[in-house]
Amino acid sequence: MSAPAPAHSDVTPNSPARMVRLVAGREISTRIRDKGFLVGSAVLVLLILGMLVFQVAINSGTDTTRVAVVGGDAAVSEALRAQGDALGTEVEVVDYDDEGAARTAVQDGEVEGALLSPSGVQPELLVESGGGQVETLVQGAVQGLALDRQLSDAGVQLEAPPEVEVVALDPDADADLEAAIVALVGVVVLYSLLLLFGQFVAQGVVEEKSSRVVELLLATMKPWQLLSGKIIGLGLLGLAQMLVIAVIGVAGALAFDVVELPGRLIGTVLTVVAWFVLGYAFYAAIFAAAASLVSRQEDLGSVLTPATLLPVVGLVIALQAAQDPTSTLARVTSFVPGLSPMVMAVRQAAGEAALWEVAVAVLIMLVSIAVIVRVGGRIYAGALLRTGGKVKLRDALRAES
Amino acid sequence: MLEIDGLVKAYGSNQVLKGVSFSVAPGQMFGFCGSNGAGKTTTMRIAMGLARADAGEVRWTGRPVDDAVRRRIGYMPEERGLYPKMKVGEQLTYFARLHGMDAAPAARAAEHWAERLGLGERRNDKVEKLSLGNQQRVQLAAALVSEPDVLILDEPFSGLDPVGVDSLAEALLDQCRRGVPVVFSSHQLDLVERLCDAVGILARGSIVASGTVDELRSGAVGRQLRVVAPDAPDDWAAALPGVRVVSAQRGDTVLELAPGADDQQVLAAALATGRVAHFAWREPTLVELFRDAVTATPAVAA
Repeated sequence: MSAPAPAHSDVTPNSPARMVRLVAGREISTRIRDKGFLVGSAVLVLLILGMLVFQVAINSGTDTTRVAVVGGDAAVSEALRAQGDALGTEVEVVDYDDEGAARTAVQDGEVEGALLSPSGVQPELLVESGGGQVETLVQGAVQGLALDRQLSDAGVQLEAPPEVEVVALDPDADADLEAAIVALVGVVVLYSLLLLFGQFVAQGVVEEKSSRVVELLLATMKPWQLLSGKIIGLGLLGLAQMLVIAVIGVAGALAFDVVELPGRLIGTVLTVVAWFVLGYAFYAAIFAAAASLVSRQEDLGSVLTPATLLPVVGLVIALQAAQDPTSTLARVTSFVPGLSPMVMAVRQAAGEAALWEVAVAVLIMLVSIAVIVRVGGRIYAGALLRTGGKVKLRDALRAES
Repeated sequence: MLEIDGLVKAYGSNQVLKGVSFSVAPGQMFGFCGSNGAGKTTTMRIAMGLARADAGEVRWTGRPVDDAVRRRIGYMPEERGLYPKMKVGEQLTYFARLHGMDAAPAARAAEHWAERLGLGERRNDKVEKLSLGNQQRVQLAAALVSEPDVLILDEPFSGLDPVGVDSLAEALLDQCRRGVPVVFSSHQLDLVERLCDAVGILARGSIVASGTVDELRSGAVGRQLRVVAPDAPDDWAAALPGVRVVSAQRGDTVLELAPGADDQQVLAAALATGRVAHFAWREPTLVELFRDAVTATPAVAA
């Protein structure tokens, strides 16, 4: 009596890949229109821009010292500038014709000091109050000038002094520090996005469970397809956001001239992005499995808190590692799955991680992701159709279907 | 033919299903009745692959139902479930695509079914903004949108007003006319009696009665025959083979015939007493049948 099924020209069976794509597509299109998400993303981008502007503001405070000179000549200006170079400040020499005008300029704070009769027997420096840097500067310059004059008076012909050759033992130290700072900023972004998108995954799982739509979904697909679609969809969105921030950050840093070595900067940023992908896969699977144990958004906190502690620990250690990338703590934790995305990223950026160390950390991370996806997927599948109270981990693992 | 064959399922020590079997022909509307906790939902969830049977299987066109077949089944779970924050139209399109439709036909089907079930103007509303009755319609539309080969609906009529019941019933009858076997569970037995070609009554984990409503009636324990013969003595039928007198009052007799007893012989005996004013089987309602089946010993399967 098996009559032919009605014709369905429009229907072809979905392949697992297409199923995952459909789920991922829904996640992206729903999330991307969510106001909370858009506002959150905008805030993150603004935060990055704010940090850049802050950096620029700090750096632009490079000191120039304005010195008024009365009765000086080119040699005096030259000596002041040379002395300024030695002291690490840029000197701007302002010539004044009479002492009164120079005095007013000092009083008004237009110049930091006024040097009177620099070539005379008794040069005088007018300052508003204590001399400070200007005093050292002027003193040095006047001494130099006096020395030159006396030597030439004595008929000593000065030979050009030999140029000192500088040999840096760790030429990258500065660049290492800079890269570590970039990595640290990157790790903070990575941490925020990990938690944010992990949270999205968890909320999505509970939403499907609490609205019971999951039963309808599982009538058409396997739990792993639903899980991977959700993780991949939100992951792509997270990666896109990470890249947007990275591009804005790098472009901003280059435009504002915050960093010394653009190549190094881009390398560090790419490292952080790569670690984000691994870290996200790790935490998203954990968060999804944890979230599947509860049926209400209110209960989410209780199951997520333990899982949230790990990235917090990772961030704290990463902050530590930025200051001391060679510490044992940083070295050891950079191999611990879940911590490595943050700690290893900083160590790598600081130039303190050997290639094999990175390879081992990545490998450990990949293996743990595989294990977590497997175990987490089982918990997820076992707990998904059990609504009501909180499902015990053991029951979820034991459930066959 | 959709065949449910010997399903057994236990949750711990609780034996929920003890060998549930029935079959539904294409174009047949099958009403699945049973008391609360009898195992209706478990049976349907097993058919949808949401629970695993300890024994037995579900077959469609002779082959065990697998994931590919399940995507051709329209399902409405007992616990209604939709994405609350998704718009009606998008939601229906999504479910159509999950069942294997391409984007464009899925959108067309979603539009069609929303229109058809009176949700045309609510297509761009989020589901959570709809009344419960309208959410129920969306749920049904989600089951129908992929033009399924089989429909399995758990309590589709619960919570609907009479107008909603009528429009849902009409939609289901349409599906039957398309040749789709429809299985639905319900507590509203009058509705089942009105709509269904076949009925299965589940009690304590097994089917205690199944067949068409007429078959159930004829197979019912103690078929009752009412004969009004005004001139007959009270004991006119007492001697007839296989006949028990239930009540006799001034020529109005109710007889219970054992299976195989000849009703024509009863008629002849009645006519022998004189005028016969009424001679008819008493039609037990489905409610009576249900009550009998559920309270009787489980041995009385049809």
